[in-house]
Amino acid sequence: MICLKGVGKMVEVILLIAKVFFTFIIYLFIFSIIRLIYLDIKSMNVSKVNLDRGFSTLRLKTKRELLSFKVEDIYVLSKSMTIGRQDKNDIVIKDSFISGIHAQFILENGEVYLKDLDSKNGVFVNEKKLENNNKTLLKDNDIIKIGQIEFIFIKGE
Amino acid sequence: MDENKKIIKILVVMCSIFFIIVAYLTYLQVFQGKKLMENVYNRRNNEIEENTLRGSIFDRNGVVLAYSEKNGESYERIYPYGALYSHVIGYNSKIYGKSLLEANYNGDLLDLDNYSQVFGMIYRESKGNNIYLTLDHRLQELGENLLKDKKGAIVAIDPKKGEVLALVSKPNFDTNSKWLEGNWVSIVESDKALLLPRATQGLYPPGSIFKVITSMGAIENGLDKKTYEDKGKVIIDGYEIKNSGEKVLGNIDIKKALAASSNVVYSEIGVELGGSKLKRLADRIGMNQDISFDIPVNKSIFPYDTMGKNDMAAVAIGQGEILFTPFHMAMITAGIANNGKIMKPILVKSVVSSEEKKIKDVRSNTMYKIMDVETANVIKDMMHEAVENGTGVNAKIEGISVAGKTGTAENHLSEKNKGKEHAWFIGFAPVEDPKIAVAVLVENGGSGGGVSAPIAKEIISEYLQNILKH
Amino acid sequence: MFRKIAYYIPLCMIIFINIIGYAFLAFKEETNNMHAFLVCFLVLAMVFISYVVITKKKFGESYLFLIVSMLLSIGIMMIYRLNSDLAVKQVIWMFVGNVAFFACYYFYIKINKWHKYTNLYIAVPVLLYILTLVFGTTVNGAKNWIIIAGFSFQLSEINKILYVFFLGTYFKNQDKLFFQKSNFSEKNKILINRGLLMFITYLNAGFLVLQRDWGTIALLLLVYLFILYIFSEDNRFLILNCGLLFPTALIGYKFFYHVRVRVEIWIDPWQDVLGKGYQIVQSLFGIGSGGFFGTGLGMGKPYMIPFASTDFIFSAICEEMGTLTGVAVVLLYMLLCYRAFKIALNIKNRFEKIVVLGLALMLGMQTFIIIGGVIKLIPLTGTTLPFVSYGGSSLVTSFIILGILQAISKGDFSNEGEKYG
Repeated sequence: MICLKGVGKMVEVILLIAKVFFTFIIYLFIFSIIRLIYLDIKSMNVSKVNLDRGFSTLRLKTKRELLSFKVEDIYVLSKSMTIGRQDKNDIVIKDSFISGIHAQFILENGEVYLKDLDSKNGVFVNEKKLENNNKTLLKDNDIIKIGQIEFIFIKGE
Repeated sequence: MDENKKIIKILVVMCSIFFIIVAYLTYLQVFQGKKLMENVYNRRNNEIEENTLRGSIFDRNGVVLAYSEKNGESYERIYPYGALYSHVIGYNSKIYGKSLLEANYNGDLLDLDNYSQVFGMIYRESKGNNIYLTLDHRLQELGENLLKDKKGAIVAIDPKKGEVLALVSKPNFDTNSKWLEGNWVSIVESDKALLLPRATQGLYPPGSIFKVITSMGAIENGLDKKTYEDKGKVIIDGYEIKNSGEKVLGNIDIKKALAASSNVVYSEIGVELGGSKLKRLADRIGMNQDISFDIPVNKSIFPYDTMGKNDMAAVAIGQGEILFTPFHMAMITAGIANNGKIMKPILVKSVVSSEEKKIKDVRSNTMYKIMDVETANVIKDMMHEAVENGTGVNAKIEGISVAGKTGTAENHLSEKNKGKEHAWFIGFAPVEDPKIAVAVLVENGGSGGGVSAPIAKEIISEYLQNILKH
Repeated sequence: MFRKIAYYIPLCMIIFINIIGYAFLAFKEETNNMHAFLVCFLVLAMVFISYVVITKKKFGESYLFLIVSMLLSIGIMMIYRLNSDLAVKQVIWMFVGNVAFFACYYFYIKINKWHKYTNLYIAVPVLLYILTLVFGTTVNGAKNWIIIAGFSFQLSEINKILYVFFLGTYFKNQDKLFFQKSNFSEKNKILINRGLLMFITYLNAGFLVLQRDWGTIALLLLVYLFILYIFSEDNRFLILNCGLLFPTALIGYKFFYHVRVRVEIWIDPWQDVLGKGYQIVQSLFGIGSGGFFGTGLGMGKPYMIPFASTDFIFSAICEEMGTLTGVAVVLLYMLLCYRAFKIALNIKNRFEKIVVLGLALMLGMQTFIIIGGVIKLIPLTGTTLPFVSYGGSSLVTSFIILGILQAISKGDFSNEGEKYG
C-alpha cells in the first residue's frame, strides 16, 4: 500500500512538472516573438541611422498614387547596389517596365556612378539615355528615370 | 501624420483592454478561485466526494458524531446519534445536498485545500480532514432528554472562551440518508417546522429576560439608586401594564424589581430611558446585526424607528415587537458573565488532517463589549438575587451560586388565550467565576421559572459537578 | 548566425507545445494514440510547410502566421481533448483555411483594384443577410446559420470583412464617395455621403438585430466608431454617432428580453444558477477549478462547461492548461493586434491602411468580447474566439483576414531593414 502511494506521489510530481513546463514553453514562444520584433525594429533604426551618415540617396519624384506597385520615398545608397524587378536585387521594384536586373549604382572613391545592365527600356539621366554597360558619374540633383519611376539623386557628404 | 497618432492612441486602448482582461482573470483566480472550487453547485466536487473519505466530526472529547463508511462503490455518511445533531451538523445527502456544518465545512471535510489553487483540482483517492467541535456530547444528550417532546432550544456557552458547549433544538429529525431521503416530504411539510434550527434561527419575544438588558441602561443612567413604587399595575399612555398576578410589590429598588420581575417598575424605567437610549442599547448588544458563526444565525430584531411610550414600556419588559434567537440570548448571558465582554462564539474548535496533523485551531476574541465591569457586577448581583430569592429559585443548586433570570413571554397565541407563553430562562454559574452560561427556551411552555429554570439547573449542575470534574 | 537560430525558436516552441500537449492526452486510456499522433503530425506539417513558404518566398511578414499557429495548436489540442472527431474536422478546416490564406494573399495582390468595388461591398452583405433570414436556421437564439449538406456556415462572418472594405472605400476620399459627379453643393454632398455612411452601417446592424446576433452588432459598431475616430476629420460627426449609440443600447435593453437577461446574469448569475445563469456559472467553475497551472490536459472536467469547444473554449483552456496559459493566450492576441497595427502605421495607401486597421480591430475586439464574456467581465455574447474556437466559418474567415493582412504587409519594407544596413 505504501509503495503504491509512493508511485502515486511520483506520478503527481511528474504531472506537476509537466504542467509548469507546458506553460513555460508558451511564454518562451511569446518572448521569442517579442525579441524578434524588437530586433527588427532595431535594424530598421539602423537603416534610419544610415540616412544621417551622409550617404547619397535616391528620392522618389513620381507621385506614388500614380504607380500601381510599391515604392519607397527614399533609398539609401550605402554601398554598391543593383536595382531591378527580381527579388535578388538590393532595390526591388515590381514595375513591369523595369527589367529583372535593370541597373547598378556603383560607389567608388566617394563618387556614385550609374550603369545600365542591359535593360530592355533603358536608363535615363536628365532625359538622356545612358550607354549600355557604361558607368556614368552622378551629380547632385540629377533626375534618374528607370522604368516608370523618376528619382532625384541627392549626393551625400 | 495626425492619423498615425490617433492610431497609436487606439493601439494603446486595445492593449489596455487586453491588460484589463489579464488583471480580471488573475483577480478571479486569486480571490475567488477557492470559493468557485468549493461551491456546492460545482459538479466537479461530486466526483471528488466520491473518491474521498469524508472527514469525521467529533465532539470536544473525541466522541464521533458523524463519519463516513464505504458502502460498496460509494461512501455513506453515518450519524450514530440520529436526530441529536440535525440542527448543528446538518445532513449530507446525495439527493438533497448538504446543510449547516456539512455544507459550511465542505472544503475542510473533503480536504479541497490541497494546493488546488495553483495546480487545479486533483481527482484522486484521498481522505478528508476531521473536525473537532466545542460541543460536549454528554451535555447535548442531557439537553435532548430534558426537552423530550417539547419544542424549544437549549444553548450553553463557556463565557470566557466563547465555546458553545451545547446547542439543542427540538423537534429534530434523523439525518441518516436512509431515513432522511425516505421521509423528506413529510419532514418538509411537517407543521412542527422540523427543518427550523430553533436555537439559532428561531425568533421569539424575550419577555422578562430582557429586563436584564433594560437594567444595563438603568444602571448606566443612575436609575439603580432610585426607589420605585410598585402598586401591581400602572397605566402608561392609556395602556395598562400589570405584574404577574397583579402582585403589589410596594416600594422597591431595582434589585428587588428584577428578582420579582416587576413589570410595573421596568416599564417605568423604559419610559424614563426613552426611545433613543433603548435603541442604542439594542444596537450595543448586537440586535439587527449579523452574527458570524459556523452555522447561520438569524439576526435578532429591533424594528422601531420612533417609539411611543407604549413601545418603550413594552420593550423594557421584553414584549412589543422585539424578537431574539435563543443563541443570541445565550451570547448576551455569557457576556454578562464575562464582565461585559461577549466573546465570538465558536462551534468548530479545530480541523485535523487524516494524518493527525493540526490544520486549524480556533481561538475566540472579544466580539462586543456590551457594558463596563462595574455595571456587569451589579447585574450579576441582581441576577444572583433573582435565583436566590426571586422568580428563579427553581434554578438554585446546593453548593453552587447560580445567577439567572426567568421570562414568561407573551406571544400571539397566548395573547388570544389560545396557548401558553414562551418559557425562558437565562443564567450562569458559579457567579464568582462563571464557567457556563445557559439560555433555555420552551416554546409555549408556560412559566419560565416553572418550566425552563429546572432544565437550566440540570444542565448547569451536570456540567459543573460531573463534566468539569472529569 | 545566431539571428538565424533565433528565427526558428518560435517554430520550435510550437512543435514542443504540440508534442507535450498530445503526450498529456496519450496518458489517458480513452485516447487512440495513433489517431492523436496523426492529428498532431498534420497540424505541425501544415504549420511547417506554410511557414517555410512564407519565409522562403518572402511573402511579407512571418510573425502573424507564427502567432496564429500557436493559437491554432492550443485550440486544436483542446478540441481534441473534448471530442476527437471535432478536432479532425477542425484540422480539415485548418487546411481549407491555409488554402484560403494563400489564395487570398495571391488574389489580393493580383487584383489590385479593391478600392473600386464599393457597390459590391454594400450589396453583397444585404444579399447574404436576406439569404440567411430566409433560409437560415436558429442556433442558440441566433439566426445566422445556413446549413447545407450537414455543414453549417455563418455568413455574417464574411459580411464583417466586406463592411471593413466598404469603410475603406468611404474614407479613402472622405465624404466624397457618393454622388461625386452630381450637381449638389459641396456641403450637401458631404451631408448626403455621411447620411449614406450611417444608413449603410445601421442597416447592417439592423439585419444583425433581426438575426439576434448581439456580439457581431457590438463588434461592427465599435469598429465603425474607432475608424470614425481615426479617419474622420470632423469631430462632431464622431460625437453624433457616439451619441446615437447610447439610446440604441438602452432601447435594446428595454425592448429585447434576451438582452435584459444577458445583462442580469452578468450582474448576478448566482440568482439562477441552474437556469439562466448556468452557462456563465459553469464557465467560472471551470476557470476556478484549474488553478494557475491547470489540472493538466485531459485531467480536468471541462466537459462540464457548456459549449466548451466553441464559445467557452477559453474557460476550458483555463481549466486544464491553467490561468497562466489563459493569460498567455490573451497576450498572443495582443501581439497579433499590435503587429497588425504596426503594419497599418507604415502603410501610406489610405484604403489599405483602413482595411488593415479595420480587420485588426475586428479580430481584437472580437477576442475581447468573447473572453470578457466568459470570465464575466462583460455580458456574455455568442461570438467565437478567432483561430481557437471550433467552427469552419469562423476559422476560414479568420484565415481570409490573415491573408489580406499578409498581402498588404508585403509592401511594407520595414522587415527588410537588413538590405540597407
